[in-house]
Order: sequence, then C-alpha cells, then structure tokens
Amino acid sequence: MLSIDKSPDGTVVISGRLDAAQAGAAQAFLDKVEGTVTLDCRALEYISSAGLGVLLKTQKRLLAAGGKLRLSGVSRHLQDIFGYSGFDQLFEIEPLR
Amino acid sequence: MKDAVADAKFARSFDSLPAIFGFTAQAFARAGVDPAIRQDVDFALEELFTNMVKYSTGSKADVRIELMPIEGGVEVTMTDYDVEPFDVTKAPDADVKLPIEERRPGGLGLHLIRRLLDSIEYEYSKERRQSRITFRKTNAAPPGLARA
Repeated sequence: MLSIDKSPDGTVVISGRLDAAQAGAAQAFLDKVEGTVTLDCRALEYISSAGLGVLLKTQKRLLAAGGKLRLSGVSRHLQDIFGYSGFDQLFEIEPLR
Repeated sequence: MKDAVADAKFARSFDSLPAIFGFTAQAFARAGVDPAIRQDVDFALEELFTNMVKYSTGSKADVRIELMPIEGGVEVTMTDYDVEPFDVTKAPDADVKLPIEERRPGGLGLHLIRRLLDSIEYEYSKERRQSRITFRKTNAAPPGLARA
C-alpha cells in the first residue's frame, strides 16, 4: 500500500510502495502541490519505473513554474535506482542518515 | 525449472501486482532467501509483468511465475502464453543523460532491470507462441551486466 500526505511543516511524506498500481494516486496528489516541495522518502520502501515517472512529471511541472521537488531521506536502494535513472542529475537528493 | 519453491499464475492486469508482491514475500520467507534482494526481484517482476500486460494485449492468458532458490539468491521464470515475441534483452537503454526538458516519463524499466539483476535470458517458442524470461538475482557482487 501507499500513503502520501502533507505534514504540518509543508513536507510531503510518502510511505509504502510506489508501484504501477499506486502511481495514479500518487500523481493525483502531487499534481496539486506548488512551489518548492520536499518529498520525505524515509518510509518509501519501493519504487518502480511507474513511480519514477510520477516524480519526473512533477519535477518538470514545478521547475517550469519556478519551483522544484526535493527528495529527502533517500535510502541506499533508492539512491541506486535514482543513480541508474539519471535522476541524481535532475533532483536535489538528501540521503537517509 | 526444477524444484520451484513457488509457482503461480496471475491475471494480466495491474491489479495483480499486490498478489505478485505477496507471492515473492511468501516464497522468500519459505525458502530463507536474503530479504535484501527482494526489492530488486519485485522491481524486475513488476517491470516485466506490466510490459506483458501493456504490450501483449491480444492474449487473455494468465502469466506464470516460478521462483527457485539458488546460491545466495533466486532464479525467477516468467512464462507468457499466446503472445508475439518481444526480446526484453534486446531493448535499447534509455538515455539518462538528457536534460530534464528532454526527459519523458517511461522507458526506464528494462534499462534499470539490466543494472539490478545478475542475469536475464529470453526464449520464444514459435510453435507454442510462448515467451519465457528467466532472471537471476543474488546478493553477490555485480557480475558484469551494464551498470553505467
């Protein structure tokens, strides 16, 4: 399952599995965010290429409007996925500490 | 495949993904496979399965998935019935160095699989109109698939 919600400080917190079956729900949520947004990925267990597409589409939209999507709390596994995808060049990524 | 620890068929729908992930979780637990490699196995299964659903729309047959433990990991075989051939090992890599203005969602699945798995093989039987993909993932050092 996937959960995505905005915390009181404005950070968007995503948890669970961002797969092809959940990508539509994640996209619908992220289509509503504006400005510079931090996506807290500490509890994101899994992402597939469908999920990567959601992040890319959101980043393109926000950058075009002068904002951006930052990714924080990124696990080693997700860092590998982002690196192989070239997303480390497209997003500001803060590794999980 | 001999001695598969798990063997199941899944309806060709994105809605099958939770059942597929449940299948791998149970098989890993039952066979004592290192859970650290399950994300990569699930990733490969999802990308390959969703490709079958999206591109082999003429088939109504379920997709069979077999999982067998090997030294340090698993071997997984996916069989797709009543389909045209599509050799997933020959698909071109995505250009991940493009600037964001030129990047488009999609096209990363097979590119990433080649970097996450130890090996992947494709066979097609013209007589049976059957595609068979076998991949292996272990917790050993990367064996030489494309990593860049």
